Amino acid sequence: MDKRSQNDEDVKALFEKFVNREQAEQAAEDFLEAEQILRSCPAPGPDDKVTAGIKSQIAWALLDRKEIAFKRKALKAVAVAAVFIVLAALSVKLLEKQSQPQKIVYASIIPRAIWESEDIASDDVNLATLTAEIEQIKDEMLALQLGDYGENGSSAVEELEMEFIEINSDFWKG
Amino acid sequence: MAKSEDLTRIITGCKKGNAECFSQLVDIYSRRCYGYFYRLTGRREISDDLLSELFVKLVEKIGSYKGGSFEGWLFRIASNIFHDYLRSKQRYKKLLEVQKKQLESKVTEPKYGEDDRADKLQKEIDKLDADTRELIILRFYSQLSFKEIAEMRSEPIGTTLSKLHRGVKRLRELME
Repeated sequence: MDKRSQNDEDVKALFEKFVNREQAEQAAEDFLEAEQILRSCPAPGPDDKVTAGIKSQIAWALLDRKEIAFKRKALKAVAVAAVFIVLAALSVKLLEKQSQPQKIVYASIIPRAIWESEDIASDDVNLATLTAEIEQIKDEMLALQLGDYGENGSSAVEELEMEFIEINSDFWKG
Repeated sequence: MAKSEDLTRIITGCKKGNAECFSQLVDIYSRRCYGYFYRLTGRREISDDLLSELFVKLVEKIGSYKGGSFEGWLFRIASNIFHDYLRSKQRYKKLLEVQKKQLESKVTEPKYGEDDRADKLQKEIDKLDADTRELIILRFYSQLSFKEIAEMRSEPIGTTLSKLHRGVKRLRELME
């Protein structure tokens, strides 16, 4: 009863927080007296049969608890296994998809619509420019043939050829 | 009383589901808990049942014990069990009142047995009001501090002290 004697000492101090010293002393005395009364008339203890019965009840309760814990663990294991199976199935599917030969999609450089179109100039700006330049060269050639450039005709032809070669090489360069 | 380290070891064992450790707890606390129930009910057979219920509940609840005063925790469960018993007794009383006419000759309310009322203290304690009686018995058998008791009852320590003092004074007068 070490704790009790320690508490007895606290009683006076505790009561002094609420009542005066004399009253606190009286209260502490009342407590001591009451505890002595209770100690002098001990309550009966439980029969040995009762404690033995309690111990066996505890053993059964522990068995139940273990069984429940086992069931819980088993359920958890089943759940985890199910998750693993699903994950494995998914990853196998993914791997199968990845191992299939890749289909190469070829795209034409020139759009089909332009390729098949009759009106090239309206379909592509570069082609339109080129067409215009060709038309211009054609006109200049015609002018030369008709003698519109006078005596400088030969140099003009050379100049035209040079220009033509330049355009041609620009075209193939892209 | 078990030393603090021993008690810690026993409780750890109980948490792991060790039957031997529970058995040790029964040995340490059964007498005090039985005294608590007996002084509150005045009947041995009821105290037997309540004590069994307490320790079976302990098996269920030991995992929720997170340290602190074990006695405080244990007697809080004991107090709850006692209050459940009181409620069921009230229900029983009501049932009896309803069936009184038909069962008057056969069924009577539970009465304290003469053997159980043998000691004077039990008789005098029964004269105290229920709340004061419970406070005094809890203080004596649980050996909790006033502060712990006040916390357990969710009331200011001054209220607990005042009720207890009135109770022990009255008990002294009755026992003189």
